Amino acid sequence: MTTEKTILLVEDNPADEALTLRALKKANIASPVVVARDGVEALNCLFPAGPNSPLQKLPQVIFLDLKLPKLDGHEVLKRIRADVRTQLLPVVILTTSVEDADRLEGYRLGANSYVRKPVDFSEFANAVIQLGLYWLVLNEQPPCVTR
Amino acid sequence: MTGPVLIVDDSLTVRMNLMDLLSTAGLQTVACSSAAEARQALAGNAFALVILDVLLEDGDGIELLQEIRGMPSGGATAVMMLSTETEVRDRVRGLTRGADEYVGKPYDPTYLVGRARELVRRRGEGASSGQETIVLIDDSVTFREELKTALEQARYHVVVAGSGEEGLRLAADVRPSGVIVDGELPGIDGATFIRRIRLDAALRGLPCFLLTGSEDRSAEVRALDAGADAFAVKEENVGVILARVAAMLRSASDQSARGATTSLQGPKKVLAVDDSETYLQQLADALRSEGYEVILARSGEDALELLAVQQVDCVLLDLMMPGIGGRETCRRVKCVPAMRDIPIIMLTAVEDREAMIEGLSAGADDYIAKSSDFDVVRARVLAQIRRKQFEDEHRTVREQLLRAKYQANEARTALEAAETRAALVEELKFKNDELESFSYSVAHDLRAPLRSIDGFSLALLEDCGENLNEDGKQYLRYVRESAQHMARLIDDLLALSRVTRAELDRAEIDLSSIARSVAERLARAAPDRQVELLVVDQLVANCDGRLMTIVFENLIGNAWKFTGKRSNACIEIGATGENPRTYFVRDNGAGFDMSYASKLFGVFQRLHSAAEFEGTGIGLATVQRIVRRHGGRIWAEGEVGCGATFFFTLESSSRGGTVTRPMPGAAPMNSHVNEDVAA
Repeated sequence: MTTEKTILLVEDNPADEALTLRALKKANIASPVVVARDGVEALNCLFPAGPNSPLQKLPQVIFLDLKLPKLDGHEVLKRIRADVRTQLLPVVILTTSVEDADRLEGYRLGANSYVRKPVDFSEFANAVIQLGLYWLVLNEQPPCVTR
Repeated sequence: MTGPVLIVDDSLTVRMNLMDLLSTAGLQTVACSSAAEARQALAGNAFALVILDVLLEDGDGIELLQEIRGMPSGGATAVMMLSTETEVRDRVRGLTRGADEYVGKPYDPTYLVGRARELVRRRGEGASSGQETIVLIDDSVTFREELKTALEQARYHVVVAGSGEEGLRLAADVRPSGVIVDGELPGIDGATFIRRIRLDAALRGLPCFLLTGSEDRSAEVRALDAGADAFAVKEENVGVILARVAAMLRSASDQSARGATTSLQGPKKVLAVDDSETYLQQLADALRSEGYEVILARSGEDALELLAVQQVDCVLLDLMMPGIGGRETCRRVKCVPAMRDIPIIMLTAVEDREAMIEGLSAGADDYIAKSSDFDVVRARVLAQIRRKQFEDEHRTVREQLLRAKYQANEARTALEAAETRAALVEELKFKNDELESFSYSVAHDLRAPLRSIDGFSLALLEDCGENLNEDGKQYLRYVRESAQHMARLIDDLLALSRVTRAELDRAEIDLSSIARSVAERLARAAPDRQVELLVVDQLVANCDGRLMTIVFENLIGNAWKFTGKRSNACIEIGATGENPRTYFVRDNGAGFDMSYASKLFGVFQRLHSAAEFEGTGIGLATVQRIVRRHGGRIWAEGEVGCGATFFFTLESSSRGGTVTRPMPGAAPMNSHVNEDVAA
């Protein structure tokens, strides 16, 4: 369990959550997925206040939606990058929006990738598979910053 | 001053008298007795003023006047004609030939000197404009000279007078920047002098500095009472007096307005019109003794002719005269805007109530019986001139007030317009922001459910497919197709709204390379298609490159799509004509029915069924918006089964030309547009 690479999926739409999980399953990516359903929950996962925190260690990658209840995706990203323990954590923005302003703000705040969720599930599944392969298998994490 | 005064008169008496008068007034003189002498003098010197007799032994003064005006520097010299002639026609002749003043003999010395000074000052204004003139009035020569020297060292131009009366005349003539007057003077004293200055509409703003004796407290109080701006004790150090004078001149406001109206103390001109020679002479003598220049006319016709060229301050007009008579003369004068303000006093031989009413109804300002004493005439003339002066002043003040009011109004209107504009801009910005967030919601929130519809339809097909029959599977495929089509619709609508909002970023853009790269992308996406692509090189236009890419994506994309069922597909991109250059994208595809041409560019307008050719019906609307944002137009030609050509321009042609859609080759319309652009 301790060596397993986990994914933090920040997504408020249960349908999108189900589709993402299905796509990951179809890609044979077995990594555990922790789901946070708003920005505050996402931050709680990363910076646990108590021993009941579901995360024992930091995830391998965060899939972050932008439009979220309570705290939006940009704000979550800003706080992740502001904390020395998470500032190098790979964050992929996975969203419906392709507005220039959103993309610019995402990269400016330090997102590692920006991926638009396609409507066509085949394309969407393909995107998730590639993301999983890249961030969980190919990509080497930066050396762990000791807590 | 630009030079001395040249006196040309064959009478020695007149010459001596004029030289005497003018040198007393501080003017340098040169005297000549004939036209020949005068020509010699004029050839060698520059004169500020020429006083010229009309009748000379060896020639005509008016001819000499014309020679002076013909000289290279002739415009800079003032000319005063002096004549014993009483003929109105000579006066008119002199004034129309360029004389600045025409004085009749016998002349009033005060008037002549006053006018001479005025003319010299006017000509010399350019030269001495940097220097401030001060009139210094004191009967003590020693003190006067001491103060004059000190003032001149302080770079003031000083004119001196020995009495209050002389000082008043000087003030009217030279229009100084300030007056220094002694409290104790023979004749009118300093306080009276200042009071008179304050009563004169043209001079009342003149800063007055009063000098008092050391123990003369009451004189000082009287002087301040009379309206002095500053005062000093005569025993005071000259430096202190200078400093106070300078301070007084500094604080004197509205310097530029000085000289706008003529002074009561200045020389005045009266036109007397009567057919009775005796009465006319008596009247002239009586007025000349008061210092008026009197011009005589013997009929209404003469008077009118004269008034056309000669400015006068008052007209005395006999009611009963041969010819057009006093009443008609009066009426005609009052009809002319430039003359209607000249006061007219009607004269009549009899104390006749009827005649009086008749005269006044013709527009006369006053009415005097000829039997009256000349003192009465003088008093009435003075009263009329004074009234006119105050009217002039009031008019000036009123005009200034009106102008100020008008300017205030204009400023307020401009401010209101600016505020309205600001409010509109604010509102527009608000609406744009609203539209922005609306578009954002559409993009984000409408697509998410579509993804679910598509995703779960596929999940159903994959996971539960064995429980569905072929129809059920087909239904799910329709669901997915619809969801994907709607996703494209949303994307295209967003692109359309973005095109409208985006700032136009114009630059020199190579349209040929844009067209080629768009076509290459299409070819890569459909490697099995065989399409001949002809792109003319060097299609360079001043436009927004990003938006033009969208234009070509749509136009070439359409061409690509509609040639899909053709084996020898060909797409051609080029340009025709100049001013404005017309670009085109031509294909040999499915074409369209020209009767639907007007519908091509509407949103959601499609001329083909979805089964035939897929599409959202938004692309051409987007293209049209881009073209219009560039100030250009777009139109299309086509024939079913024979292809279509889309033409567009990127510069504004004549306004209002957007309604008509001229076909290429429709020469009259095109050439008309060309001319407009070229102009």
